Amino acid sequence: MNRFATGLLLLVMALPAATHHSFAAQYDSKKPVNLGGVVTRVEWTNPHVYIFVDVTDAKTKKVVNWGFEMGPPHMLQKAGWKRNSLKIGEQVEVEGWLARDGSNHANARRVTRSSTGEALGAASSAGQTLTGSGAATRPPAPAGATAR
Amino acid sequence: MHRSAIAPLALALFAALAVRGQESAPAEGPPPAPRWPDGRVSFTGTPDEVGNWEGPANASIFFEVTAGKEVRPAPSLATNPSLDQVPFQPWAKELYLQRHASLQAEDPHTRCKPSGGPRFFHTPYGMEIVESPETGEVFLLAVGAPHSWRVIPVDGRALPENPEPTWYGHSVGRWEGDTLVVESTGYNARAWLTREGVPYTPQLKLTERISRPNRNQLRYEATVDDPGAYTAPWSGGWHLRWSAGNEPFDYLCQENNRDPARMTGPQGE
Amino acid sequence: MKMPGHAQFATLLLAASVLAGCGAREEAAPRRTDGTILFDRVKDEKGFWDLPSVASLAEAGVSVEMDARGKLKDPADAARVAPFQPWALALYQHRQQNDFADDPMLECIGPGNPRQMMTPGGVRFIEDRNFRRMYMIYGGGNRNWRTVFLDGREPPNPDEVNLSFLGLAVGRWEGDTLVVDSTGYNTRFWMSNGGLPHTEALRLTERFSRPSHDELRYEVEIDDSRTYTRTWKAGWTLKWVAGDIQEQFCETGRE
Repeated sequence: MNRFATGLLLLVMALPAATHHSFAAQYDSKKPVNLGGVVTRVEWTNPHVYIFVDVTDAKTKKVVNWGFEMGPPHMLQKAGWKRNSLKIGEQVEVEGWLARDGSNHANARRVTRSSTGEALGAASSAGQTLTGSGAATRPPAPAGATAR
Repeated sequence: MHRSAIAPLALALFAALAVRGQESAPAEGPPPAPRWPDGRVSFTGTPDEVGNWEGPANASIFFEVTAGKEVRPAPSLATNPSLDQVPFQPWAKELYLQRHASLQAEDPHTRCKPSGGPRFFHTPYGMEIVESPETGEVFLLAVGAPHSWRVIPVDGRALPENPEPTWYGHSVGRWEGDTLVVESTGYNARAWLTREGVPYTPQLKLTERISRPNRNQLRYEATVDDPGAYTAPWSGGWHLRWSAGNEPFDYLCQENNRDPARMTGPQGE
Repeated sequence: MKMPGHAQFATLLLAASVLAGCGAREEAAPRRTDGTILFDRVKDEKGFWDLPSVASLAEAGVSVEMDARGKLKDPADAARVAPFQPWALALYQHRQQNDFADDPMLECIGPGNPRQMMTPGGVRFIEDRNFRRMYMIYGGGNRNWRTVFLDGREPPNPDEVNLSFLGLAVGRWEGDTLVVDSTGYNTRFWMSNGGLPHTEALRLTERFSRPSHDELRYEVEIDDSRTYTRTWKAGWTLKWVAGDIQEQFCETGRE
């Protein structure tokens, strides 16, 4: 199942839709990122949900607050989220793609709750509507969740 | 892409094709479009099956060549022209290519600006088509973007002369059989005609043809007649997908739009 | 796959309602042939609702002077406007004293409810009898639209929904009055011109009626126990205006 899900995610990443919308102007699909930390803020808003996570550098112990963009609330809701799903202070791992502007910001494609291992799709705007465990068994949806 | 990713990718591709194969198993194809009691085609659902139209974000109004190969997104009409066949005036082609090269970083739509014409029909999150028989109008209600609406009088009136230029233009519609034909003028030309950045000018006269070949598809084709940007009229379009069960919801692009500040385009790398 | 007849039966209208095309309109509101009331225009008529009779919101029966932006002529009147909780009164007074500098509408945030109904620019009521919904399409504010579900569903659990500016609304007809219950409001908007505050606990009961051809009556009951010490009501009217809603989109001027 995990391998299947991974494959599907990669297939999704290969879809050409990423060249057709704002994702490419803002994020770099060649720069994946994987960060873990503590949730400090959740903005359950349109056009995108944002979560902010304090990430501690393993060596320097310096804490940096990262922002992650996800899909709009209604897409996350379809993927099983509620607006109060994530708790402030909760530990999460986030996979995504870095912003082109070099800031501490990324587009999330998957958020995993460290306490349970539950993977929440992030409804990333990278040309796919749903990613993560809740959607992995579905065929790739048409790229309809890519912009406002 | 890493070599190690190829195996799962192939597996997923196979799985996706298998699912598609299952979906296409019924020999009869999609069911026909629903009809009103008077026999005319309906562009909406029934009391037993609500739903709305999902604008295909990846559709294009003409086909481009990427890495030597023509890209033909599935929702696009097979009859769409290729980029080279679109009769651009030189400045319009240059502007289009510049928007393309910048990865659409300057897109007004991303700044919550309204987009009439074709762009209205590939805005995601659902579009309701509501016929008002009492008033002889058709309303297009789009959930996404600025969560706004277009009205198309289908009552025989003429297009206004010298109208105030607007984002959505001024429209009149008529039925040609099962096709709703909508003519519009009076655009302020501040938006982009499509997601890719197709330019236009206030001289645009747009003719949109909307039909429903079957229950699952809405066919949308626009004829762009704009002597300010093109040397001849040209047409293109795509199919929208019926999303059974979809319901409209309140949405506002302006609520918390953090994107524009970060839209660097390729130079951000 | 035909639709039931009721979906389109309304194409024929009472002749009397069509006669409403000209002249002063003390006359009755138009109706369909089945007798149900119409809040919108009839065929060959052009018009919409506008010219709200109030510029701001104050509890019914309370008389306070305000200007067109909802600014109190006498700041000492603040506590009389609504049955505020102390924090809400302080916030209202702050917004008043601050001359509305942080009004979300300056950032092109939609007016939200019930402020939308006091925002000039027009509103129409498009009833979709096929899906059993009422759409309210607005010309003022951000040219948005609102859906009211008339299909008999229960109001949603506010804890389960995505909060928004226009809320989640279910409605029903009580005779000629459309009664709309809504919840699920976010706190990114001001509830009125003049800066009345609210919380996510806001629940509105709105009553729309058309006592005559040219008058739309709007009444709203405001239930937000975190902001106000009790539920309270307000009401105003809109007038039927000839013509079409003109397109206008909010822009901040920084575009």
